[in-house]
Amino acid sequence: MFILNPQSGIPIYRQILEQVRRMVASGQLPPGTALPSVRDLALRHTINPMTISRAYSILETEGLLERNRGRPMTVASQAKNHTQLPKRLQQIGPLIEQTVVAAKQLQLSETELVKAVRQEWENSDD
Amino acid sequence: MTDAVAASGLGKAFGARQVLQDVSFGVSPGDVVGVLGKNGAGKTTLLEIMLGYTPPTSGGIRVFGHESLEMPGDIKSRIGFVPQQDELLDQLTVRDQLRVIASFYARWDFALIDRLCTEWGVDVNARIKGMSVGERQKLSILLAFGHRPELLILDEPVASLDPIARRQFLEQLLAISADGQRAIVFSSHIVSDIERLANRIWILKDGRLDWQGDLDSLKESIVRLHIRGTGTELPQFRIPGVINVRRDGAFATAVARDWTPEAQRALEKSASVQIEVETLGLEEIFLELHR
Repeated sequence: MFILNPQSGIPIYRQILEQVRRMVASGQLPPGTALPSVRDLALRHTINPMTISRAYSILETEGLLERNRGRPMTVASQAKNHTQLPKRLQQIGPLIEQTVVAAKQLQLSETELVKAVRQEWENSDD
Repeated sequence: MTDAVAASGLGKAFGARQVLQDVSFGVSPGDVVGVLGKNGAGKTTLLEIMLGYTPPTSGGIRVFGHESLEMPGDIKSRIGFVPQQDELLDQLTVRDQLRVIASFYARWDFALIDRLCTEWGVDVNARIKGMSVGERQKLSILLAFGHRPELLILDEPVASLDPIARRQFLEQLLAISADGQRAIVFSSHIVSDIERLANRIWILKDGRLDWQGDLDSLKESIVRLHIRGTGTELPQFRIPGVINVRRDGAFATAVARDWTPEAQRALEKSASVQIEVETLGLEEIFLELHR
């Protein structure tokens, strides 16, 4: 289910966080879908279980996953709402902030920046 | 949860040579600690102090609540150890060697060891004298597993194992640690194994614990930075926790050890630079800490 690379500089729990968030947001993991248990995932990928538990706990706090007594964790029924607009905007916030700082340093105007973003948007459409 | 091992201010000198200095740590049940360090950094000495084989010259260490030098037999039997150099008896067969060790313990998991012998391709009828280094290493590991220790200490256990045997070994270690009741401390130069298995990392450098903490935090805090200014010359700035920095006109590359997103935002604003963060694998991190 996950593509995990222990040798990456990105900690495994972050790799799991990003993949679950993406798969839930895109509907690949609809509400109610069961996730593999921490133990199964650790043994299957030969990785430490704690980093997996950490990812699952964060996703639970975010409301994306639900813990069920004695059964595997599942994608929360409310998960869709959590990935609605404000949440997704919040995720891209730091990148926008960075871009705006850079644009100001380069003395670009707001109009010029917005125009450039629009151009990039159109070019990257597949 | 009580610590399996608690050490504070450990020091060890052999004559005038200071091998360990001011080493403090805790190991909790469920932890898998990966110990990294150059040859001669003090790894083996540290593990031997934990086992009570040698006294520290300063500081204190308790294992399951007992001073490591004064552990009673029932505490010692909760520990398993795989030494760097095996202590097998050449004239014995594998079966006899297993029997000898099993006889030291009140509880011995014969079923587990039988299963692992089969899975790992260890021939119980073979005489130890004729075995390869890798085969001897597998047997040493089995000898440390049989009494299902709550604290497993391994000193370079896999140096002579092929990649397939190493993976089988890692899988078994994971199975052992999966119940969250047992602690594992292992030193290895095979960084990719530590990267898979450990949740905590100790980096020993010149006898000191240069870095200790979660592997996840280690990867988040030690990063390589690619810094770009807006003009042709980079302004002067100070990077918090910088290990090294190389400036080249309007660019700079640096490695920092306490990096946070807040530090990045602060530096980008104050120095008018753009920073791209490159995360590093454990091997790169280890190398950077030794430059």
